[in-house]
Amino acid sequence: MFLARIEGTITATAKHPTLEGLRLLIGQRLEADGSPAGDPLILVDTLGARQGCTVMVTSENEPLRKAVGNNTPVRLLVAGIVDTVYQEAAA
Amino acid sequence: MRLGVVRGSVVLSLATPELTGLRLAIVEPIVRESLEKRGGHPGLPSSSLGGGKPLIAADQLGAAEGQVVAFIEGRTAASPFWPDKVPVDAYCTLIADTIEFHGAGDRPLPPAAGGTERRRSQSRKPNQ
Repeated sequence: MFLARIEGTITATAKHPTLEGLRLLIGQRLEADGSPAGDPLILVDTLGARQGCTVMVTSENEPLRKAVGNNTPVRLLVAGIVDTVYQEAAA
Repeated sequence: MRLGVVRGSVVLSLATPELTGLRLAIVEPIVRESLEKRGGHPGLPSSSLGGGKPLIAADQLGAAEGQVVAFIEGRTAASPFWPDKVPVDAYCTLIADTIEFHGAGDRPLPPAAGGTERRRSQSRKPNQ
């Protein structure tokens, strides 16, 4: 699991049928210091994360497969909306 | 899933039976910098998008050259063919109509690491 910031939204008409009705967001994975890590990612959101939210993302899609079927080609889910992050100071 | 722009396609003269008849698109991943440059306009297409290392993705949606798609990589890319086992490790999941990208927006990144909390400025301390 990792932290990401919500930075946008995406809409699509042509898509895999299991994506029908799912809320898709553009998220940016974050380094420990809050800087962006890697390319923007498409996330499935069921919690109602908003623009600018920091969220925790999981790459285990079991809940989604249970909901929409084993053949869904989606892995990244918003598992929680972050309130606070505590982190030990770097030495 | 990442975002990418369709740049072409690949046709196989000889293929494993599982791949026969499957459309293969060449997808150029969209890097953060190129999305940032484009800004928050929802309109598509954008020829300037891209910047990543192109790869081949299975495409059952018929995405045309220049269209923006989302693609999944790794084991999950073979899921649409379940329970069949196919040697696919990248798959186009959708063709984007609109993309709205605000970047970090007016909200700052969580403050840098330093033994303090990184979001919301309540003065709670850990282990209390």
